[in-house]
Amino acid sequence: MFDPPILSRHDARICVAGGGGSGAALAYDLALRGFSVLLVEKGEFTSGTTGRHHGQLHSGARYAVGDRAIARECMEETLVLRRIAPQALEYNGGIFAAIRDDEADYAPAFISACLEAGIPAREIPVSEARVSEPALNPRTKRTVWVPDGTIDAFRLAASFLAAAAALGAELRAFTELVGIETGGGRIRGGTLRGPDGREERVSFDGLVSATGAWAGRVGSLAGLDIPVTPAPGTMVAVRGRLSDLVLSRLAPPGDGDILVPQRGLSVIGSTQRRADSPEGILPTKEEIEFLLSRGDELVPGFSSAPFHAAWAAARPLAGRADSDAEGRAISRDFAVLDHGDEGAAGMFTLIGGKATVLRAMARKAADEVCAFLGDPEPCRTAEYPLPSWRSLDGYLEGSGATGRGAGSRRPEGGAA
Amino acid sequence: MIDTIIRIRDGGGFVEFPGSFPEDATVLDALETLRARAEADVPGAGVEGPGTGRGGAPTVRVPHYRHSCHHGSCGTCGAVVNGLPALMCLTRLADLAAPRPREPGGPPAGPVRGTSGELVVVLEPLRRGTVISGIAARPTAALAGIPEEYSYLRSSEDAGRAPPPADPTRAAAPGGLSAGSAGPGRVRFEACIECGLCSSACPVTTPFIGPAALAAVNRQREKSPDSAERMLEVAGKPDGAPACERHLHCSRVCPQAVYPGKHIQLLRNALAGRAQ
Repeated sequence: MFDPPILSRHDARICVAGGGGSGAALAYDLALRGFSVLLVEKGEFTSGTTGRHHGQLHSGARYAVGDRAIARECMEETLVLRRIAPQALEYNGGIFAAIRDDEADYAPAFISACLEAGIPAREIPVSEARVSEPALNPRTKRTVWVPDGTIDAFRLAASFLAAAAALGAELRAFTELVGIETGGGRIRGGTLRGPDGREERVSFDGLVSATGAWAGRVGSLAGLDIPVTPAPGTMVAVRGRLSDLVLSRLAPPGDGDILVPQRGLSVIGSTQRRADSPEGILPTKEEIEFLLSRGDELVPGFSSAPFHAAWAAARPLAGRADSDAEGRAISRDFAVLDHGDEGAAGMFTLIGGKATVLRAMARKAADEVCAFLGDPEPCRTAEYPLPSWRSLDGYLEGSGATGRGAGSRRPEGGAA
Repeated sequence: MIDTIIRIRDGGGFVEFPGSFPEDATVLDALETLRARAEADVPGAGVEGPGTGRGGAPTVRVPHYRHSCHHGSCGTCGAVVNGLPALMCLTRLADLAAPRPREPGGPPAGPVRGTSGELVVVLEPLRRGTVISGIAARPTAALAGIPEEYSYLRSSEDAGRAPPPADPTRAAAPGGLSAGSAGPGRVRFEACIECGLCSSACPVTTPFIGPAALAAVNRQREKSPDSAERMLEVAGKPDGAPACERHLHCSRVCPQAVYPGKHIQLLRNALAGRAQ
């Protein structure tokens, strides 16, 4: 039973724009801190980038050489998610495999960086790795075990949404924030357009844009210029669960170097390009062919498995599309922008980041909101296992679905 | 490229969109393209309502639809596509240009064509779903009977593999399979993605918790001896397995090969065994 105590209630009403993973975690975090929360999402929840991400639960090993702090945070967050949302994760660990000689040479630096970041990476004999995952390329030269796993992106986010709803947060899908109102230098409210197209003015005391690659558009409603670049990445799934452990290339982060198992599928990803708009992004034929061939390098025969699907989603990279840094060089860290100096005190934009650290992103944004309101409340989202995503639909339909045991609620008039 | 007319249910009527899409495009790809196009013409028009596009041509908003993962994992993009419940992300336009049943259990028939030979794609919300707007419908009723104790994790097919390497982080986060099941071995999600296509296809009109719920009931019975008796109690109620009329449309439309009809039969067998 999900029934965490609310330690103190606050009058302030906070609007969260964006119903992806970070918005979902933020709505829960704020509700648990005792605030009144309204979350709006212009499409279905998780219809932006969250649902289409690769689905890797990152131990942080991938980032350790480049940024120990990000890696450490990933490791801490994987442990938290494994405790609070075990049903939304396939946690089996992962193997980094060196296929080429230069990759084998990378192993010592990789392992020591992981250990410095608190990630218990260790080299295992290739023979052990291949007995455990026989699909792994037989030419593999070295193998390192790490605590990676798989996320069901939709169900993890929906579990946070269910938690928020259980604490009274108001969640509205197919509802777009189309106007932001400021007055006296601070946020006063906004205009929402609902599923039926009707507009409604609402008041709130704080606003957090957790809209990822759409943050530029939401910021412009308040006359703000938000430095975020939509950076689409493509993933390809083939049928067949070729491994249980996540398989990665033992090399600095690149394209097509991670194979994530999920249910009966194996998913190779990803790629990275830049786009002007985050809408309607589809994979290209070249990306799909490239990824299939990269899959073959990790698991020979990958490209001969039955093709299942290819998709692309816009990562929200913090930074400008016209900056010189190549996409992979732009940090995967996240930031909370405070728009207080721009005439919109009480408005914050959450940019960058990645799915594994969604709860940490939410914590930082909620801390900023608390500081702005002068109502300090600690983050407690690591303490309670989340309710099932299945309870979300009941809340959305207003029936407050707790304890929907089998047969306790019967649909009317025939087959459910 | 396939010349296409996409006809989308929106309240009491339909909205129609002509378009030309690659053969391997999915129905969801086509909708995303239409929506992006409408938004580019009139910012916000893809979601906000009728407007006027480039060159003065009217832009009609694309009716709402649900989507998330785009690869048949989340189960949100179910719709009735040319008469058959299907996931839009796994239904290619080329599939619709080939012979295909026009109702669950029906015989295959040629594609629906427009006056100029275009492929006609008719999209309607899932039956028995809760319609939010357009074809966006949540399969709430189809999933309401899934028992709370049903675990979404199961042992992975080990296919002769050795146990995974030792994991020093287990103590900090036990996770994985719950006590009473197969132990901390390899885990994976259940195959069912809770999309509700099965219930949309099911012709039963008497009170029935439905194929998805019964499949979950049987999976939990199989996985957990502790749950078995409670699961059989659920399955044996009048709105459980006895309500199934064995049309098997659920198994035909399931995108994950869960074969709910098979699970219902296994429950019947177990109930019969218990009665003896």
